[in-house]
Formats: sequence, C-alpha cells, structure tokens
Amino acid sequence: MTTTPLRPRRPRLRLAPYLFLTPFLAAFAVFWVWPIGYSLFLSFVNTRTRPWRFDPGFNWGRLVNDSAFWDAFGNTMLILALQVPLMLALAVALAMAFDSDLLRLKGFYRFAFFAPLVLGAVPYSAVFRLIFNADFGVLNYGLGALGLPTVRWLFESTPALVTIMIALTWRWTGYNAIILLSGLQSIPRALYEAARIDGASAWQQFWGITLPLLRPVLLFTFVLSTIGTLQLFTEPWLITNTGPGGATETLVTYLYKQGFRSFNFGYASAIAYAVAITAALFSILQIRLVGGRDNG
Amino acid sequence: MHRILAITFAALALAFASAQTLTVWVWDINKPALESTIDSFQSMHPGVEVIVEDIGNQNAYDRGLAGCAAGGFGMPDVYLVENNEAEVFWAQFPDCFIDLRDLGASELLPLFPAFKWAELTAGEAIHAIPYDSGPTAIFYRRDLYEQAGIDVNAIETWGDFIAAGQAMNAATDGAVKMGTVAKGADDEWFRMLANQADCFYFDDDASQVTVAQSGCVLALETLKDLYDADVLAVGGWVEQIQLIQNSAAASAFFGSWYGGVIQAEAPDQSGMWGVYLTPALESGGVRASNLGGSALAIPASTAHPELAYDFVVNALANEENQLRILFDYGLTPSLLSLLDSPALDQGVEYFGDQAVWSLILGTLGDVPAVAGTAFFQEAREVMIGVVNTYLDGGFASAQAALDQAARQISQATGLPIAD
Repeated sequence: MTTTPLRPRRPRLRLAPYLFLTPFLAAFAVFWVWPIGYSLFLSFVNTRTRPWRFDPGFNWGRLVNDSAFWDAFGNTMLILALQVPLMLALAVALAMAFDSDLLRLKGFYRFAFFAPLVLGAVPYSAVFRLIFNADFGVLNYGLGALGLPTVRWLFESTPALVTIMIALTWRWTGYNAIILLSGLQSIPRALYEAARIDGASAWQQFWGITLPLLRPVLLFTFVLSTIGTLQLFTEPWLITNTGPGGATETLVTYLYKQGFRSFNFGYASAIAYAVAITAALFSILQIRLVGGRDNG
Repeated sequence: MHRILAITFAALALAFASAQTLTVWVWDINKPALESTIDSFQSMHPGVEVIVEDIGNQNAYDRGLAGCAAGGFGMPDVYLVENNEAEVFWAQFPDCFIDLRDLGASELLPLFPAFKWAELTAGEAIHAIPYDSGPTAIFYRRDLYEQAGIDVNAIETWGDFIAAGQAMNAATDGAVKMGTVAKGADDEWFRMLANQADCFYFDDDASQVTVAQSGCVLALETLKDLYDADVLAVGGWVEQIQLIQNSAAASAFFGSWYGGVIQAEAPDQSGMWGVYLTPALESGGVRASNLGGSALAIPASTAHPELAYDFVVNALANEENQLRILFDYGLTPSLLSLLDSPALDQGVEYFGDQAVWSLILGTLGDVPAVAGTAFFQEAREVMIGVVNTYLDGGFASAQAALDQAARQISQATGLPIAD
C-alpha cells in the first residue's frame, strides 16, 4: 500500500487578505494608532518651553488645578445637561409630526428641517452672529418691537451660552428627528390599533408604546449628541469666539488654544485624553441606564 | 490636435516655473498699504509678481504657527507678524524664519528705534524688520461731539472723558456712545490703559508676573469707571466698525493704525473725524501708550530670500513708501528719519485737515516700552476672562481681580508673581 504524501498547503495564499487590508491598515496606523499613542506620551511631557522634558505629573497636575479647564468643563456639561435633552425632546415631537397621517408635503418638511446640516458651518455661524448682533441684529429688533428688553447676546455670559444652545438646537434637531423617524416607522402599526381598541388615549399610546419601542434609537441619538457636545468647537469658535471672557469656552476650544495658540502640545494632549475619558464614561453610563434592559 | 495641447501645456508649465512670484500674508489695511509699494519694488525687479493676501489678524498667527510646526510647509515668502506675538515664533521655532543678518539687515539697525527691535531679535539674530507702531489716540467724530457740546480741549483725563460721555448720552438719549469696548472678547482697553501706567502682564525681562501691580490696578479701575458710567458700547472688532459706520460710536480708542481702518471702513465720513491725545489716568499723567504694531519676517522656506528681503526693505526702510503708507493708509511708521520730517505737518483731509500724524507721532517718545514674551497669548486669555468678570461685578475690587489673574497666569506660565 502506498500512501501519497499530503501536499503541504501553500501558506502564501493566507497573505492575500492581509495584503488587501494593507492600505487601510497602513493609513489606520499612521493616522490613528500613532497619533493616539504619541499624544498619550506627549501628555507626560512638559512642552511649555523648549527643550521639551519628560515630566509625567506636569500636565496632569496642571489639569487638576487649572480653573480655566474646569470652567470649560463646566460650560460643556451645562450644554450637555440642558441643550441635549431639550433638543431630543423637540426631535421626538418633530419626528412624530413627520410621521403623522395628517401632514401633507412630508418630503418637503423632512428636507426643510434637515437643511441646516447641508449649510456650511461658517456661513451659518456668520448669519447667527448677525441675527444676535446687539445693536443691529434682527432678534433684538424684534424684541424691541414687541416692547421687550433687548439683550447683548454675544457679550454677556448667560445670553452667550443661550445663543450657542439655540444655534446648536437649530442645526441638529432636524437631523436627530430624521433618525428618530426611522425608529418610529419600525414600530408595528398593529400595536397602536390594538391599543385604540382597548381604549388607550393618544397620551397613553405615546408613553406605553412609542417611547419604549423608540428607546434604542433614542439612546443612539443621545450617545451621538453627547459625544458631539463633548467635541463642541464650531459654534463657540465662530459665533461667540468662546467669549465673553471664556463664558462659552468648551473643552475642545480650550484644547485648540493650548495646542495651536500657545503651542503647548503636552497640555493639549492631556486635555484631549480628559475629553476622551469623559466621553467613554458617559457612553457607558448611558448604555447602562437607558439601554441595559434591552439585553436582559 | 493632441500635440498642440501638449505643447501649450508644456509652455504654460514653463511660464509658471520661471515666473517669480512673492506671496505676502497680511491682515486688514496692510494689504492696500503694502500693495502700494509694489510698483517701486518692480522698478528694481521687473517681472517679479507680488501677491499680497489679507488672511486676517488671528488667522495669520494661527496659520503661521501651524506652518512653522510643519517645517515651513505652505508658508508665504513674506510674513506679517504682530510685535507682541513675535516672541512665540522665535522661542518655539527659531529656524522657521531667516536670520536677516545673512541678507544684510545689520545695517538697518540704526534706522529704527531700539524698542521695536527688542521684540524682533533673539540673541544676535534679527528675525523681522519693524513696520508700524501703535501709539494710541482717540479718534472722534467732530460733528457728533459738537452736537453734544463737547470740547475736546477740555478732555485731559479719563474722568473728563466720562463727563463728556454723559453729555453725549444726554444729547442723544444714549443712542451714541463714546467708544466701544470689546468686553470679554479682548483686553485691549486694559492693555492700553495699563501701558499708560507703565504696567504689563510681565516685567521687562519677562521673568515675573506683574499684572497685579499698582499701575495695572489703576488701569482696571479706570476701565470699570468707564463701563459703569455707561459711556461705552460693547462689541468686538466687527461690531465696533458697524457702530462707526452707523454713527452710533462718536469715538474710538485704539492704536494709531485704527485711523486707517476707519478711513477704509467709513469712506463717506471723510472730513468728519479728528484726533486728540489719549486722556491721562490722573491729572498731569502720561497721555501716550502703545497697542500693536507689526513687523515683516521672511520664512526660511521661501525660494526667493533675496527678492523677499528687497521687497521688505523697499516697503519699510524707504521714506517715500512709508510716508505714503502713513498718509494714505494711516499706518504709523517706525522709520526714525521720518519723525522730524516736515511732511508730517500736512493736514489730512479725512481728519478735517488736522495734522494728525505730527500729533500722534509726537507721543512716541512718551510711550513706556514693553518687553516681548513668549507667553503673551496665555496671559491675554486669562486677562480677557478676568476683565470681563470684573466688569460684570464678579470681584470685590480691581486688586482682587488682578491677584486672581496673576495666580492664573503664573500657573499657566510657570513664572513667579512679583512682590
């Protein structure tokens, strides 16, 4: 009896998938892995003046005691606590209106509320600056015409923060409403019919059917908005210029100033890691609180 | 057909490669001012094209730092740098700009005042050539002051200025203000007033934080008096221009270069403006200070260092060009030989034929000098916030506000607070 020896399998074939992946992996390594690693290293380096020195506690120690950082942190958290829930509540209402059988021209309205996102951030910010201009802006003109007191929107602390929240809400509510609409449309109509037959009011249907079944999509928009708020840069940078006096400074505008105005990359890296850690903690918390029961 | 196209492209490519072009990054009024020197430059270097780009003040700084960090990539051939921000570049990127001694700049040293060079040199190296200075003054609308019955000769101190502002408020029912303060957007007013009192964020060799010293306290108290008296409108750079264009601001307190900005932004108000000296903090005090002023540097990445240098020297060390820049664009020269020039006594039409330049340049000798520092931006960020909070009543006193500012600046820079 002769046995034919097993041919060794050609290992070269196994390389192929990796070769196909190489362009992506190379880009991923150069533009993601390396900066992430290097900025972690930089956060332990004193880069305030040349030459740079390795000093692990320097930037992190400053972060803990830096009142400007904590002010920026507080502003960001305030926007997160007030603007995000308000915007998502509005977005749910808007999504239900989009979904309503009573509404005509649905396509038009869906586009109209999504449109703010199509507009570039710079022209949109410039227009908001004009609208909120204290002396010649249309908003103060309207307030004055109604006999209400006018406000120096961009040059007083609380109004400036309110301006940012209004701008964010204007820009992102429609976007979130469209996402929530997809969630609404996946809720079986039969549930509502059954509820109606059982005599449930519209309000009861909303609390008993719509909201629970919308939860996964709502969680998704919540996490997205949270991360977006933690990375908030455009509006405070272009509309209020982080002012007045840092009243609309956010974590990322502060990071930018440290990195690219003062050229203190080490401290900017520490701030970046603080933002990333905060974002991760929030995401875990939200998924635990809101989404956990789905899996259980 | 294809051959013709190919030849055309080849010819075009050749033309672009051989044409020499200098790119200059500037902001605001400096664009037309420097463009006005191109003709005289091209008479020395025919065929060299010069493109002056207005990229905005803060943007010039941001893009300059980013360009230097990228090893000079994307930098222009000539770069306009504000004096008080210049030190950051020399400290962080000593090789980003050419040491102009290599191109013969040592012979320019006696032509400009020492206080301008202080911020432009690092050790022996010369990194930039002085352009304009920013001696402060009050630009005012003659017609609006007259309507309110205000006599500028009676305004000698900031207290007098407040009284004038109350007269303005009464005459216009508060619709016209005496000036515009960039509350919470910049601390320019504080810096100009503090400079009058010979006080700055840091001491002369930038080794200690001096912002809580008595001169700065007096400056901040004066600013609070002005703000509380409701004689100032609130607005940033753009809002101030809108207020001027709409005749809602009767005057402006800024460095002398702002005269050029007003001329450019409100050409229809020609003849209505005038100038008077900065009011003193206390009776008999200094009526001069400085804000801003800039210089031209040449990035080391330029392909045409000699041409760029010739452009800079022709624009800045040439009396004829500097006089035109002064009279047409309102930028105050640093060139010493011009200070005694009889040409300065000419009236300026825009300012009601007042000889504003001899008035403003006459204060240059009284301006307390301020040393440059690589930590200007950090300190300014802190002060913008502290001044804003103080104006809003967030501190018990100016001293308390500045003690807080000193602590924050010290923490951000690592420099000790002066006793």
